[in-house]
Amino acid sequence: MEMIENLIIDENNIAYNNALGTSYKLNETGKDILEYLKKGLSKDEILNEIVSKYDIDKKEAFIDIQDFFIKLKLYGLVS
Amino acid sequence: MEKKVYTKPTINKIEFAMASKYGSPLRTQKVRRDIDGIDVHELTEKFGSPLFVFSESKIEELYTKLYTAFNSRYKDVTFGWSYKTNYLNGICKVFHKLGSIAEVVSEFEYQKARALGIEGKDIIFNGPYKPYNDLKLAVKEGAKIHIDNFFELNDLEKIADELNQTINVAIRVNMDTGIYPQWSRFGFNYESGEAYDAIKRIYETGKMNLVGLHTHIGTFMLDANAYRLATTKLMMLKEIAEKEFNAEIEYIDLGGGFASKSHLKGIYQSPEVVVPTAEDYAEAITNAIYEHNKSKRLPKLYLETGRALIDEAGFLLTSVVGYKRFPDGKKGYILDAGVNLLYTSTWYNFNVELDKRYEGENEPSVLNGPLCMNIDVIEENIMLPPLDRGSLLTLSPVGAYNYTQSMQFIRYKPAVVLITKNGEAKLIKEIDDLATINYKEVE
Repeated sequence: MEMIENLIIDENNIAYNNALGTSYKLNETGKDILEYLKKGLSKDEILNEIVSKYDIDKKEAFIDIQDFFIKLKLYGLVS
Repeated sequence: MEKKVYTKPTINKIEFAMASKYGSPLRTQKVRRDIDGIDVHELTEKFGSPLFVFSESKIEELYTKLYTAFNSRYKDVTFGWSYKTNYLNGICKVFHKLGSIAEVVSEFEYQKARALGIEGKDIIFNGPYKPYNDLKLAVKEGAKIHIDNFFELNDLEKIADELNQTINVAIRVNMDTGIYPQWSRFGFNYESGEAYDAIKRIYETGKMNLVGLHTHIGTFMLDANAYRLATTKLMMLKEIAEKEFNAEIEYIDLGGGFASKSHLKGIYQSPEVVVPTAEDYAEAITNAIYEHNKSKRLPKLYLETGRALIDEAGFLLTSVVGYKRFPDGKKGYILDAGVNLLYTSTWYNFNVELDKRYEGENEPSVLNGPLCMNIDVIEENIMLPPLDRGSLLTLSPVGAYNYTQSMQFIRYKPAVVLITKNGEAKLIKEIDDLATINYKEVE
């Protein structure tokens, strides 16, 4: 989680990882998920947050969040 | 509290090398909402997905453009619709209405043409295998027989005896036109003298008259000059046949092979740059006829263009039925159409258009079909925004060969729709069902 905690996310939804020297482009929902992760929420808690905030079916959001987490893993941001 | 509009969460590493002076590929999206004015969703809701869609207006546009390019330079030109390229009755009818005769390469294509009301004299019978009884029927009905090999020549001599008639024939000639690989397995070779020997044999027996010379130099020919060489060689052979054997060669047939505006894999320039124009092909062929004609009469010119007349008029609508993230990070979309319907995916990079503009940035994606086969890949690497289950993609050009070479494998073959010139979506082939699959099975 250290990688996520160290991410700096700016107002243009660009996340910068100082340790890796890499930048990531996020959309609004992606930014939300990273912010929740920074706060220490679990994947299930994040799913509930997203469903309560956005107009989306839980089953569909589940698939999208799964997909998002695989990418975080691929980028080395979560283990 | 009112909920916010949802978009799929995305995160994409910023690769600075991806941006160039031409801009970034991350936001480019190609969108097609309709075909000839009919909404793509309306089409699949009515006829199912996947769905082949053909545009009659586009066929007519392609036909008129190519025909005018030839006819404005050479009056006596006729197109023969290449049945193998697309032999759906609804499509063949459009070409016959435009003035095409039929060019067939098998008994069932011959029967199809006859069933569509095409007379034997208006059918060109090509191909390396013409079963004896079918060949005999074609002779009886006055079809234009293009002889492929000496065995067929023997058969025709026998048929001439049986029918007690002299048969008008043409021979297929293969030759070196600078194209690699050279198509040398069809017909008689020009350079080795085999074509000459075939003509000699025809006149020795006196059972046939040589009235035509045919060649088909290859497919997707990106060099119009190859046709100049092919025409020159046919015209030289014509002169020899007329001088030495008193033949009266009525026509030459340059076959097909004109390229369509498809993006071939491995060719990085756009089709608009590499594909010769209709004028380029017409100029090459007609100039060579004028230059090398030694007879009083110019020969009739036949062309059997298939791909260039139908490819761009055909579209395949296919739906996203699911997606997953692959271990290499690519997004893998599962479509309801795969290589079972898209034979040309082996060598084309299709134009992939989305049904609307999607939020989110493009990411490297893979388009897979519905087959339980690892090889079922339509696009290995394509930049796409996050799509939904149910997103509708339009793939093109798919008008040539994909329907006729599609496999009855795992999935039912889809319906086919022709959008007529007056804007009506006309069903020309229904979706298959179990009865189609089981047809002719005896257990």
